[in-house]
Amino acid sequence: MKRTLQVLNELERGGVIERYAIGGAMGATFYVEPLLTFDLDVFVVLPPNVGDLISLAPLYEALRARGYAEEGECVLIEGVPVQFLPAYNALLEEALMEARETSYEDALTKVVRAEYLVAICLQTGRDKDRERVHIFREQAELDMGYLAGVLQRHGLEGKWKQWTP
Amino acid sequence: MDTVKPEIARLFAAKEARRHKLAALPFPEKVRAVVCLQEMAAPLLRARGRKVRVWTLDNRVT
Repeated sequence: MKRTLQVLNELERGGVIERYAIGGAMGATFYVEPLLTFDLDVFVVLPPNVGDLISLAPLYEALRARGYAEEGECVLIEGVPVQFLPAYNALLEEALMEARETSYEDALTKVVRAEYLVAICLQTGRDKDRERVHIFREQAELDMGYLAGVLQRHGLEGKWKQWTP
Repeated sequence: MDTVKPEIARLFAAKEARRHKLAALPFPEKVRAVVCLQEMAAPLLRARGRKVRVWTLDNRVT
């Protein structure tokens, strides 16, 4: 895992990705009890492309050149299947900008703030997202003022009320 | 209305306390816990035909 994070940092330093942050179940695990997952979800801002199309191809190519193979929707990096998710909307872009820095066994990394993970769950809207919001409310130290701002900016207040009666 | 017996209520409270204790663990310890969960779940998921891979940690003490 430490090497995996170091590879992500190398990709960022090398300009292959502009910015990254851990999200998904492992991002949530940073704030709550350990959650079962088999993928490391990594949100990325990619450098601008010709024609403004979001493409993971240059990133996959750079990883292939380093010897990391694709495995389904993931790339296996130092024993950890990593799923890259481009920041495809304003909420994810903001979540990446506001990600918090932390370290994992001497490797610096970034994790999406808990309040954004909650907002992303609300926006995604699956059953497991609903369950995750419940876990966040029970276990994470959410900054409710900060969360209110995120929800308001991204039109998620209604969903929050609906999911948290 | 049904009420929960005191001993059951105590069990629920203990479970809740354990989850909060787990939530407070340092991140590297949580990652190790996730890998333990993967090891437990992988055989069941594979038996159901799902392809899953247990993570390799750099310096895991087993």
